Amino acid sequence: MNREAPSPGRATTAVGGEGAVPGLLRSLGGSIDVLRALTESDIRFRYGRGPFRFARWLLDPVALVGVYLILVTFVLDLPGEAPGLSLACAVIPFQLVMLTIANAMTTLELRRPILLNMTFRRMLLPISAALTESVAFSSSLLLIIAMMAIYGVAPTWNILWFPLVLLVNLLLAIAAAYAAILFGIWLRELRAFVVSFVRALFFLAPGLVPLAETSEDVRDLLRLNPLTGLFEAYRDVFMYGTRPASWELLFPLTAALILLAIFVPLYRSEQRHFAKVV
Amino acid sequence: MIVAEEVGVQFFFNRHMRVVTPGEARLRGQGLTTWGLRDLTFSIERGVGTALIGPSGSGKTTLLRVLAGVYTPDRGRIEIRGRVASLLSIDAGLLALLTGRENALLLGVLGGLSRRSAMRALGAVKARSALGEAFERPVLTYSQGMKARLGLAVAEEADPEILVLDEVHEALDHEFRHFLQERARALIEAGGIVVAAGHDHPMLASLCSRALWLESGSVRQHGPFEEIQPRYLEAVRSA
Repeated sequence: MNREAPSPGRATTAVGGEGAVPGLLRSLGGSIDVLRALTESDIRFRYGRGPFRFARWLLDPVALVGVYLILVTFVLDLPGEAPGLSLACAVIPFQLVMLTIANAMTTLELRRPILLNMTFRRMLLPISAALTESVAFSSSLLLIIAMMAIYGVAPTWNILWFPLVLLVNLLLAIAAAYAAILFGIWLRELRAFVVSFVRALFFLAPGLVPLAETSEDVRDLLRLNPLTGLFEAYRDVFMYGTRPASWELLFPLTAALILLAIFVPLYRSEQRHFAKVV
Repeated sequence: MIVAEEVGVQFFFNRHMRVVTPGEARLRGQGLTTWGLRDLTFSIERGVGTALIGPSGSGKTTLLRVLAGVYTPDRGRIEIRGRVASLLSIDAGLLALLTGRENALLLGVLGGLSRRSAMRALGAVKARSALGEAFERPVLTYSQGMKARLGLAVAEEADPEILVLDEVHEALDHEFRHFLQERARALIEAGGIVVAAGHDHPMLASLCSRALWLESGSVRQHGPFEEIQPRYLEAVRSA
């Protein structure tokens, strides 16, 4: 049986006769299997099974943000360059972070029967929350493609930067998930407030309009919000067809690393007690 | 083999007496702490069934959760040699919205099997659980007995050397109890360990030759079941 990393008070049987590298590979393979199993179960909860599963996956983002994008694109006469696409480039990466946080805050309750019956790699729960939302997120990328088509924006070679941008986006979501699980149990009664706070970060970043269209007085301040760099990087790749500026990736990356540095050790210590509080 | 040395498990409560993590206790700065287990020292040899007896709140479930790795000791040391399988509730760790097959795969992988091994084992789990077509239905449609059968079938897939049972056998039908008894006896005969808690002493007597009498989170007595159990009952009567 796999075990959590032993606490100072717990000794477990060591598996002898295995070198460090094969052991590491086995552990990595085991972690990937666990992540896949947790994510698949989450997706089953979300989309159910049967013929409508694919339709739900496809339509979920449309229900969530698609209607808003249609409003901005076809109904409102907004100034600026491709306002619907610009908004999509902000809303969609934000949704990955936001929904991961919402998922993470309830993930312990969802898995209560397992937590109370057996030990497993609980350190992987936040990553699984982010991966689940990435699956949902992948269908919302179709909305960006639709917006590009509507505004006649042709992709350039700089779209090849997207995997790197996505990686930073995912890392920020994972880092936020470690914090979110802890806040989910520490501040149960304030979960709605935490969600509202994260939502406020969207409006404290250039979500509705690109950074270039914001007041110069606050532009440097807005850059400090890690979401600003992400939104601008998505716009560079999909809207302007340019390479993302390095600050656009470094700011959210730094924020993610700071969150991980603070919350992973806290999570590691607290996860030993999850079964007592679910 | 299981060796416990001065094992303690601590619980933190907030001012509303809800259990919280140490982090939340520090954050809120008020509340109580208590030890669910304190200075627990015992050992269980291979090929032995051990019953945990004691009144409600004496620490039986807490100790079983420590053995299953669900809780880690906050003090002391526990050494467990062997793969552990646990049935600590009727739900047996099953998620209600998933089917029997999906649960078997998930719990198999979480329990340490590779995905490939867990996939390969699904047929055997289905056969052992005797669920038939219900294996493909969501667990929320199952009876308690069906859940327990599936839980045990999944737990056995990891080829456990130690089986930990918490009162689950008491809520089940006679057919499953008989099945569980047979599985537990076979494990003990093969040199494994069974640790079971409950209030159905005849059932415990059929599985366990030893008893660990817990009181207020500590070991009051440890010895042969036929000696410890009457003493416990006498203490209950005289109280």
